[in-house]
Amino acid sequence: MPPKPHRVLLDRVSGYADEAAAYMRRRRVSRQPFARLYYPGGRAGDHAGDSLAGGELFVAAGRLIEVAGKRPKP
Amino acid sequence: MPDGETSGVKETPAADAAASALAYLTEMSPDLRGGAILGPEGAVLAASDFPNRWREDVAALLDVADRAGEEPVEQVHIATEQGEVFALRHAGLAAVAVSERFALASLMFFDMRSILRDLAAGGDGRGLDAA
Repeated sequence: MPPKPHRVLLDRVSGYADEAAAYMRRRRVSRQPFARLYYPGGRAGDHAGDSLAGGELFVAAGRLIEVAGKRPKP
Repeated sequence: MPDGETSGVKETPAADAAASALAYLTEMSPDLRGGAILGPEGAVLAASDFPNRWREDVAALLDVADRAGEEPVEQVHIATEQGEVFALRHAGLAAVAVSERFALASLMFFDMRSILRDLAAGGDGRGLDAA
């Protein structure tokens, strides 16, 4: 007997959810701090934290994070 | 603001339109901690709080970012342990947002670009609602 259509749909949705959860786990583990600049035309460049520009970018970003403060608890 | 794209903005958006746009960005982005929208001369049109601090710190960030390359930046994305910073220039305006870690950058930039595009066209930043 073929599975009921809603079972197929539920299996598919839960499969996508599992994939997404695994992706987010891998992303959290592997993601390190970075500074990325994008230019007109789609060009982008990364700046390491130990470079002069990278260090200045992280300092400037830190000031903005400080002024934004913590997110209020819902 | 040296982004070479100031011709796209008809006139500097009103502060209430910018505040509406910032509120809309906050609605759309649950990870957002705070943000600001700046006009062509770097003046703060709207900020979640402390507008003078935002003006100074955004100017410092964009100055550093512009000096890091050979041309003015269009977008900035900096991720740190404490949070993430997004900055976007469009049509002479700039939007800056600070979010929790691991915010989806593509969505954040899409939302920021949407509100700036609408503000530049004379709207209140909520143009997508009407679509």
